[in-house]
Amino acid sequence: MDYPIWDVTMGGGVLMAWVAITHVIVSHFAIGGGLIIVVTETLAVKRSDPELRELARRSSLVLILVSTVFGAISGVGIWVVAGLISPGAIAALIHNYVWGWAIEWVFFVLEIVAALVYYTTWDKISKGAHLMVGWLYFIGAYFSLVVINGIITFMLTPGGWLESHAFWVGFFNPTYWPSLVLRTGICILMAVAFMIWPAFRAGADRRSDLVRYLGWWFLGGVVLSYAGYRWWEAALPDTVKALFLGETPTLAGLAATRSFTLWSLTLGLVVTVLALLLAPKLARGVTAILLMIGAFGFFGGYERLREGTRKPFLIHSHLFSNGLLVSQIDEINAKGIAAHSGWVAAGDASPEALGRRIFAAQCSSCHTLDGYQSIREVLPTIGDMALVAADDPPGSGAIHYRNQCSACHGEIEYEEMAEMLPTLDEIRSDPEFIRELNLGMITMTMIQLKEMGTELAAFDRETTFDMRRLDRPYMPPFVGTDEEAEALAVYLASLDNVPDGSEASGGER
Amino acid sequence: MNIDLIPALDAAGMPGPPWLFHFLLVFTFFLHLIFMNLTLGGTLMAFVANLRGGGRLTDPNTVLAKRLMGVNTYAISLAITTGVAPLLFVQVLYQQYFYSGTILLGWIWFNMLVLLMIGYYAAYLHKRFRGPWLGISAVTFFGIAMTHVAVHLIHVQPAKWAQFDVSALSVLGDPTYWPRLLHFVLAAVTFAALVAGWWAVRRARAGDDVELNTSIARSAWRWALWATVLLMVDGFILLGVLPKPVLLGIMRGGLLILGPLTISILLGIGLLMMMARVSNPVEKPGLVSGTLAALTLTIAVMSVTRHQVRVLYLEPATSQFQATVVPQWGNFILFAVLLVIGLATVFWMVRRVLTSPAEGDEAA
Repeated sequence: MDYPIWDVTMGGGVLMAWVAITHVIVSHFAIGGGLIIVVTETLAVKRSDPELRELARRSSLVLILVSTVFGAISGVGIWVVAGLISPGAIAALIHNYVWGWAIEWVFFVLEIVAALVYYTTWDKISKGAHLMVGWLYFIGAYFSLVVINGIITFMLTPGGWLESHAFWVGFFNPTYWPSLVLRTGICILMAVAFMIWPAFRAGADRRSDLVRYLGWWFLGGVVLSYAGYRWWEAALPDTVKALFLGETPTLAGLAATRSFTLWSLTLGLVVTVLALLLAPKLARGVTAILLMIGAFGFFGGYERLREGTRKPFLIHSHLFSNGLLVSQIDEINAKGIAAHSGWVAAGDASPEALGRRIFAAQCSSCHTLDGYQSIREVLPTIGDMALVAADDPPGSGAIHYRNQCSACHGEIEYEEMAEMLPTLDEIRSDPEFIRELNLGMITMTMIQLKEMGTELAAFDRETTFDMRRLDRPYMPPFVGTDEEAEALAVYLASLDNVPDGSEASGGER
Repeated sequence: MNIDLIPALDAAGMPGPPWLFHFLLVFTFFLHLIFMNLTLGGTLMAFVANLRGGGRLTDPNTVLAKRLMGVNTYAISLAITTGVAPLLFVQVLYQQYFYSGTILLGWIWFNMLVLLMIGYYAAYLHKRFRGPWLGISAVTFFGIAMTHVAVHLIHVQPAKWAQFDVSALSVLGDPTYWPRLLHFVLAAVTFAALVAGWWAVRRARAGDDVELNTSIARSAWRWALWATVLLMVDGFILLGVLPKPVLLGIMRGGLLILGPLTISILLGIGLLMMMARVSNPVEKPGLVSGTLAALTLTIAVMSVTRHQVRVLYLEPATSQFQATVVPQWGNFILFAVLLVIGLATVFWMVRRVLTSPAEGDEAA
């Protein structure tokens, strides 16, 4: 939070999602592809099967173009974007796990060199030497997953690391092995979802064989993925599980994501059994597309779940996604965020300007003004109040209240609120009064978020936090002095810059 | 120095003594430079050579361009791969400065990835299709070089961060920006030219298309010679425009700092003398190999000097922070062992590949 802020209109989180999604798909494909291609070539050499070898050769071109270019650049891209949007957080991660990344780099070098050699030496070196290069490629690629999996899973389930801060305790954390099994399955799914296309190009007499051959691979991937996924769920701490499992999950959106994830895998399974294994002659482009939808849907759903359940942390129970350490909360509350960050302290000292800088430091890693997770969208406005008070046509006020206000006023029914609110004429005649009212509500929320920080700071820092105990389990607390909380509130209230509180402004939203 | 805008050190501490990370940063950066030079210098040179060859397939310039881009099939990938390690270690040592520098550049820094992607695929497309691909590749790699020089100069000057916050592009007006950029670009061209020349000499000596390879070797040699002349001139200009405290730091740095700088200047002069003595490199293969080896050594020594200049730039800021060290020796040893095994495996693999030509049906 003490770094300069990169102002991204679309939202840093969205940018990170684009880069990360690209990378994980490509990198898992690169690993699974490495395995299936080299096994395929090995079988082809043993059986003297040129068509099978041709499948491996055709697939290896895309493997090289995608993994050594797109995979490598998007992998660097994750660091680049993380450094831009969450520098403090990524610095903390790197200072704990730099040797893990350094080891991964060694495997990465082996992977890339082997990939380049593998592709460019088809038919130029002996088959035995070519197979050796292929297997070295797979070893390099898979072990880079073995290493990076420890760091990724550590972020969600640091487990005993919270107490010991020991490298290997965090590395082999509760979800390490389940996740490795799951990701191994995903690697295979990604690879088959792609390799089915080159298989379609085989001669008519062998096409069905190759499609069925890949079908068995996909089935194996589904089994590994499902087993790994269920094991992963079981290994999660109860406090995390409760966010998306059970009869009343804390985060309903994540519970829906879980359903989507498992149904996607089911789709992939059904397509595989019916079209790849039982009737491979029927397999067409649409089959491959369905397979890709199933595989990508499962993978995307799982990644969304993993990221969603970690919110609002980068390292669960230790470091928030905006770079705030749990251990810093009390100190920053006492001294102020401006004392902690020169970028917040520098510049115009008016409350609104200070508030804008505090927003940039504390909130902008998740919220944009008007784009993804728009802060303006969730703030109370004169337009909101006018729409609720007008209730024209009848019933619209209740709907608007439910959509825009009930997240914070869940304990108050619409009818009660309507009685408390000024009339539409009063709102129009005295918008300043409404602005004051809104400022009060926002300030109250800031104070609540600050109190949440005090609660968090009192948690046992050596165990995984039970975020269900908090009012807003998916948000970092506000940290800073009361004056800074008020400055932030002033800035946020100023975002409702509609001059007359017209209905149109509320209606547009 | 006012350190208000400099973020705090990471609370976790450094997972090893600083000297270790300084060493690893310089060592891996040197590895990166080897492939980066081939990528940047090779592509720029190939672009010009291709223009001069006019697309005639038998013209030595066209063949030179084709060879350089053939090498780049590997070099670009390896430049990225080897670039990962210094990117990692710089974050351990200089997280406060490096991240701040990249954030102040913002989209320009992010777009480096886009340029890299375009440059890489354009290099592939150039091999398969006619068109502007080689030029696109050259422009994008040059743009990446500009970005790196910019982020370097911003991150080492925290006293100017407030100014860069208003306009990051004001870094282009830094007195050292253009000489520094030119220094890297010329060094890259020199290295790529010498590699291309060395390869042509080997092939000519082996009796392979002697006339063509002799012509390519001569051309590459001239590229290397003139790039080195300019490099030396630019190097002294760069030295002269360094901020006074940094220059004084070099002058008063004793053997540790003056030593590498002096060695690299002497090596540069030696390179010029070696190159100027030869008009037909094919006749002096030993000298060509020696020149390439000397240039590689110069790059290694200059990597040290570059790092020392960074240390001097940042000294007023870094002297006000005291990093705690929480060494993870076991993990470092594991990394070192795996690095040795990994590099040995790569070496063994390449050797096996080179000694296992396809025969009979396999060669079909």
